[in-house]
Amino acid sequence: MVVLAVLLGLLLLPVVVDAVRHGELRRLAIRNINRRRGEAVLVVAGSMLGTAIITSAFVVGDTLGASIRDTARTTLGPADVSVQTLDVGQLAELAARLADPPVAGTDGVLPLVIARAPVATPADAAGERRAEPHGVLVEVDFEAARRLGSDPAITGFAGAGPTPTGDEAVLTAALADHLQLGVGDTVEVYAYGTERAFRVRDVIESVGVAGFGGGGGRGVFGAAQAGARSVLVPPGTLAALRATPSGAPGPAGSAAPPTGFVLVSVEGGVYESAGRIDTVLPEVERRLQGVAGVQVTPVKQDLLEQADAVGRQFTELFSTVGGFSVIAGVLLLVNIFVMLAEERKVELGMLRAVGMKRGRLVRGFGMEGAAYATAAAVAGALVGIGVGRVIVYVTEGLFSRGDLGIDVTFRFAAEPASILTGLAIGLVISLVTVWATSLRISRLNVIAAIRDLPDPPGVSHRTRSLALGAAGVVAGGLLFAAGLAGARAGALAGLPIAAFSAIPLLARLLPRRLAVNVLCAVALVWPIAVFSVLPGVMDGADIALFVVQGVLLVAAAVTLVTVNDEAFGQLAERLSVAGRGLSMRLGLAYPLARRFRTALLLGMYALVIFTLTFMAVFSRLFAEQAPRFTEEVRAGHHLLVESNPGNPVSTEALLEQPEVEAVAPILRAFPHFTAHYQPEPMPWAVTGIDERLLAHGVPVLASRVPEYATDEEAFRAVLADPGLAVVSEFFLQRGGGPPIDRLRSGQTFTMINPASGEARELTVVGVLSADWMFTGPMVGAGGLVDLLGPQAVPTRHYVRLAAGVEPDEAGVALTGRFLANGADARSFETIIRSNLSQQEGFIGLMEGFLGLGLLIGIAGLGVVMVRAVRERRRQIGMLRAMGFPARTVRGAFLLEATFIALQGILIGVTLGLVTSYQLLANSSTFGDSDLGFLVPWAGLAVLLAVPLGASLLAAAWPAGQASRIRPAVALRIAE
Amino acid sequence: MSGVATTEPMLEATGVRKVYRTGALEVEALRGVDLRIHAGELVCVMGPSGNGKTTLLNCLSGLDSIDAGTVLVDGEDIHTMDDARRTEHRARRMGFIFQSFNLIPVFTALENVELPLLVTGVPAAEARERAAAMLARVGLSQRLKNRPTELSGGEQQRVAIARALVSEPAIVWADEPTGNLDSETAAAVLDLLREVHDAGQTLVVVTHDPTIGRSGQRLVQVRDGRVTADGAPRDILGGLPDGNGHDPAAGGRRGPRPRRTRPLRAR
Repeated sequence: MVVLAVLLGLLLLPVVVDAVRHGELRRLAIRNINRRRGEAVLVVAGSMLGTAIITSAFVVGDTLGASIRDTARTTLGPADVSVQTLDVGQLAELAARLADPPVAGTDGVLPLVIARAPVATPADAAGERRAEPHGVLVEVDFEAARRLGSDPAITGFAGAGPTPTGDEAVLTAALADHLQLGVGDTVEVYAYGTERAFRVRDVIESVGVAGFGGGGGRGVFGAAQAGARSVLVPPGTLAALRATPSGAPGPAGSAAPPTGFVLVSVEGGVYESAGRIDTVLPEVERRLQGVAGVQVTPVKQDLLEQADAVGRQFTELFSTVGGFSVIAGVLLLVNIFVMLAEERKVELGMLRAVGMKRGRLVRGFGMEGAAYATAAAVAGALVGIGVGRVIVYVTEGLFSRGDLGIDVTFRFAAEPASILTGLAIGLVISLVTVWATSLRISRLNVIAAIRDLPDPPGVSHRTRSLALGAAGVVAGGLLFAAGLAGARAGALAGLPIAAFSAIPLLARLLPRRLAVNVLCAVALVWPIAVFSVLPGVMDGADIALFVVQGVLLVAAAVTLVTVNDEAFGQLAERLSVAGRGLSMRLGLAYPLARRFRTALLLGMYALVIFTLTFMAVFSRLFAEQAPRFTEEVRAGHHLLVESNPGNPVSTEALLEQPEVEAVAPILRAFPHFTAHYQPEPMPWAVTGIDERLLAHGVPVLASRVPEYATDEEAFRAVLADPGLAVVSEFFLQRGGGPPIDRLRSGQTFTMINPASGEARELTVVGVLSADWMFTGPMVGAGGLVDLLGPQAVPTRHYVRLAAGVEPDEAGVALTGRFLANGADARSFETIIRSNLSQQEGFIGLMEGFLGLGLLIGIAGLGVVMVRAVRERRRQIGMLRAMGFPARTVRGAFLLEATFIALQGILIGVTLGLVTSYQLLANSSTFGDSDLGFLVPWAGLAVLLAVPLGASLLAAAWPAGQASRIRPAVALRIAE
Repeated sequence: MSGVATTEPMLEATGVRKVYRTGALEVEALRGVDLRIHAGELVCVMGPSGNGKTTLLNCLSGLDSIDAGTVLVDGEDIHTMDDARRTEHRARRMGFIFQSFNLIPVFTALENVELPLLVTGVPAAEARERAAAMLARVGLSQRLKNRPTELSGGEQQRVAIARALVSEPAIVWADEPTGNLDSETAAAVLDLLREVHDAGQTLVVVTHDPTIGRSGQRLVQVRDGRVTADGAPRDILGGLPDGNGHDPAAGGRRGPRPRRTRPLRAR
């Protein structure tokens, strides 16, 4: 932020000084802006989108961060540290150790017991029931809960009355709302193979300790759950349920046992306490030394750190993807200023002729640009808040899809600091562009400018080009050398930078066009080929690297096209036979003659369309491959049945169902893991399998160690050896996108029992290409139970259906039949399609976000066409005088816009298709499995039609204006 | 000059009136001009700056609308035609030469000259051939592929003249054709125009240059939006040195002063 402020100061200082000290520069700038207010508005509108994109990325990050931070209020309240044990008999002792005497800096401890259990309403008159398969049963002393910390209001128990007794229960509002239950209603819970009904005595808000669900979440958003859907039951209920299994379905012995917690509150309320946890934690750990099976977690600190990390991730994701659009915005700014300068060339030449120094000319032009940039940055920041809000709205909808199980209530947040940062970044980018363009513009030849002629090439210009070219070649070479040593950006960009820089050097030896063609071809091929040529370096490329790749490819392709564009001119000439196609001839003449400007416009379009094509390929690829992915994961089974760990479905019960032919039970747990790229223990799911999973097939591996000839051999080795595992490419990954670091066959990782601290090193024998059902590493069930004991619960079953049974229908039937187990039976294809739909949704969101970049391109084209009409007014007048019909003039402008937009779109689409094909088919960037390649025809049709149509619409108004120019007026003004 | 004028007028303007309006400000640029031009004539229009010469050219050629009067070209009133028809009429019957050339900068000399042919539907190959021949006629056969910025002012004006003549129009309108040229180049351009007229081309030239004014067979003097003299240059210019009816040494501009008037009633 300081660097940003300094940069901004440096860029704005000359403007402020000149505005105060040089009245003539100020007047020049103000009058030039005032002279064409409509165009000034267009310039600001076109330039603000970059800032809007950056600001919206910050707003999305703020909202995600704030939403997760808010779960500290809704799931922890005053609780800062949790002490967890599977031996609930230890709770009293643990609480006593921490409370007597109190640990300095803490203001209370609270023991409580939590179990997971399905919860349901009794059947109504129609036999219908509402159920919550992931319910939580909590035993806690309400009075003690209110005393935790210094403020009962944040505990969630302030108005909750006494601890329930007998058949009373208190529900959290999250559960009551879900089940549509109120005070006096009956709620049924199912746990440990038995069931029990309670009368709802009260419903309390799902906040603070009342919202505490014991954690145990999964993945990046593990802790970011809204207040738990809990039934607060009388003390002793859980022990009683475990002791008296009835005839209800479910194996009591295999259910996850209740977990005991002692929550410790650090002084300072919900948020202020987080900073003091580090001072308290060592003493808490010291006091618990010698107690076996205890896990101490600074839950609030973890959650807040996670909130910040997720906020940063989303800001980074959206700002990086938005980088394409921001670059398009920069190109637009350059284009606008180059046009402004050309339009005022004579005026600028005269100013130089009457003695205005070059520096002052730069500052005068810079002042006008700074005014546009400032207005655009302010407007962009405001628009960015709105864009951010839209993204948040869509993201919230996407989070609720699929199997991520994320249940966060979004709280829209736009921090002033973030908005200012977005504004400042946008302004700095604009000002740098403005100053650089002003410098370029000021190097005009006075005579040529006054006579409105092109600048003659100068000797000093050639010398400078050669010197800069040589420096670029050296810099590119050094970057490339760094790339060979492992620096991805260097490997990607070094060679193209050297190639671009070598153009002026090679042009001295070869004809210029040949030199440009050869070197641009190198710059075009390398960024695509590098992923196959240097896989060791390029694997794990992040999104920022793809932005760099896009910029390099587009720069090379646009240069190649613009140096070879005579072909289009010849085509236009042929089409203008007998007067037809005159519009085309006129329409193509200008973009072909003004190559720099045309290249900037092409770049804007191509850059954004390249990315959109890339995304369209992936979207189609995933959408089309659901059946294939299903075949790869299902191992000959049809349904995945998940159930609540507190009352899991038994294998025997499932086998008794008429639709079921075979069942493979799967153990699940959430231990901690470390790997070479994840040195800190990280909670992740693990899956324990036995012989039964392999009875009808095996999951397909993307790669395996060479010792095993088939995937089945690799899986059988896992069953036989507790030190072996199969993992997915996404194991221990944070965030989205291709895997950054991953385990390969033959590498090792460590699984840790979080309760005992016992660790086991595992060797990877095979890698799954994807992890659609969040299985985590697959290990032998026996070995898993040895390490994790009762934490490993058979909450999943792979079910093979009898011949002729329709999987989705069977899934619905089994879900209903095993409601008491919290069962959720779905076909593998349904699960995969659901997750794919979420992925497609995110891709769609990104495409929408990039659509803003397209807006920049389209707005840019509109601005350029408006200015072109003004610039060519005299020529249009002459054409009309010569007898060119108005429709020919209008057609010429529309064809010019079509030519530019279509060229840009085609460059972008071609690059997008070639690059995605290369990355998917010939590199391991997106994993070892062959994802195949499909051309997204429908997506491409949209990509072609929408921007082209929008471009024509943007050009329609200026084209109409041009056609309505009265020749005498245009010529009179000119004369 | 030796052009041959026929008895039937090619162009007949009657009571032409033109008012420019800018907000409440109205300037009556032409005040009931009557004029006849015969085929093959070389008519020079002279007068002080701002007195309506260019407006007269624009209104008679159909480049600009008029507020009253009629302009008959070959017996047809061009101001009753709709824009499309008038545009087509211009394409087929008229050529234009302006002081600042108004060449299309992104086209070569050859491409500029073939434009009027292409717009009237002449086949591309023929258009190219005729344009090249016309450029050769104005002495630019070596500069066919050059763009305007690569040509001198005199060369650009010769391209403009070639462009005006290539479609063999009935009338060529030239507005200060030597205004942007040095005296030597201006003389060359004037010679070229004489040659064109000698070949039978009807030419109307708006000029400040008394040399051009004297060289025509007919001179029309415009002052305050009215035709104040129409006849042989010798009779009108008399002994005055600038041909505009006043001594330039006296200085000053004699254009009509802007005045506030009531809005005109619709015609």
